[in-house]
Amino acid sequence: MSRDLEDSGQLQGLLGAVALGDSAAFRKLYDATSAKLFGFALRILRKNELAEEALQDAFVSIWHAASSYQLHLSAPLTWMAAIVRNKALDIHRRQPKGEVELALQDYDPVESLQDTAAGPQALAELSRDALALAGCMERLAGRQRQAIGMAYLHDMSHTEVAAQLSLPLGTVKTWIRRGLDRLRDCLSNREAA
Amino acid sequence: MNPRNNAVLREKLAAEYVLGTLRGAARRRFETWLRDDAALRAIVANWQGRLGTISELGRPVSPPARVWTGIERRLQLAPSAPWWQFWRLDAARPWAWLSFAAGGVALALGVMLAGREGTALPQQVAALADAQSRTALVVTADARRGRLDVRVARDVQVPDDRTLQLWAIDTKGKPRSLGILANNRSAELTLDQRAIGPDVMLLAISLEPKGGSPDPNGPTGPVLYKGSWARL
Repeated sequence: MSRDLEDSGQLQGLLGAVALGDSAAFRKLYDATSAKLFGFALRILRKNELAEEALQDAFVSIWHAASSYQLHLSAPLTWMAAIVRNKALDIHRRQPKGEVELALQDYDPVESLQDTAAGPQALAELSRDALALAGCMERLAGRQRQAIGMAYLHDMSHTEVAAQLSLPLGTVKTWIRRGLDRLRDCLSNREAA
Repeated sequence: MNPRNNAVLREKLAAEYVLGTLRGAARRRFETWLRDDAALRAIVANWQGRLGTISELGRPVSPPARVWTGIERRLQLAPSAPWWQFWRLDAARPWAWLSFAAGGVALALGVMLAGREGTALPQQVAALADAQSRTALVVTADARRGRLDVRVARDVQVPDDRTLQLWAIDTKGKPRSLGILANNRSAELTLDQRAIGPDVMLLAISLEPKGGSPDPNGPTGPVLYKGSWARL
């Protein structure tokens, strides 16, 4: 946990220097975060060249927006990941539909942790927040996780999620809502513990 | 229109707004509520924190070197010199050594002044450094004049719509504002006795919107420089 705080403090300092136009600090920030953020862009876009474009767009924005980063609203990495997600989803929307065929489990935000040989090691390197989220996600039904992944990582509407899961629209809406409620309750219970 | 009294509905809409399933007119309407509803913005921020962590649930993959080259080109950043060309690194940062020296000079000056007075005046000096340990600011407390003198040693470029703010952070980690550096170069602030109290562990400078942090209880922007008092 102290490592998380330390990392977060270091990233914050670098973001501050970037806000003042320090390009050496910007390079350090890139070195410290680009692998995590590129992995995330790849999960959204699935194609290397598209994920590269998203990462580049995101870091150009981070350079310009660093002075508006607000530490009381989000951790530095969360803030940067949100920018990567926006850029990746912009690119995703410009792609022809149905280009990439995914199996249902590929939409599961937790599955991607487990399907690699580096599974246990990947888990050991997670921050405390990420571990809590992974734990709470695993308590949801598989399809609930897939539905959340489809919406958050692939910009799918309720209707698209319903078609992909071959479920009635009403069921999907209720599932997603209950899934989010359970996620929130589970996370706040962990925080309180 | 804004369902201010319906906590369950607000929570549901905020979650679906962040997830991305709140769309079209409903999304636009929600965004207009967000503009003047700080409590709703906080609910959204909480959801962004929860779902944003999804970004960490995956395998890190190192991007190819061309991604960085492309960023450098698009931002027109000067390519950094290779590490072995240390003279070029120095040339690129003429202020790095100077400011380090300036920190030392200020400390020495403070010691001299305190020595000359020969009294028990609580003279204190702090050299504030950035994340890369480069001294950027020097703060001196003059109890006799009741002034706190802040001087920027390194060449610091503050964006037009931002300002530097000085904080005292106590041993419990609680920050207290000491004032803002109006012109971002130097400032003479009124010395608040609490600023030099024994419970002050750290001085810090944060980057804030013009006029200072909107939150009286602490910085809202990134902390740029930190340092502790040297009591003389």
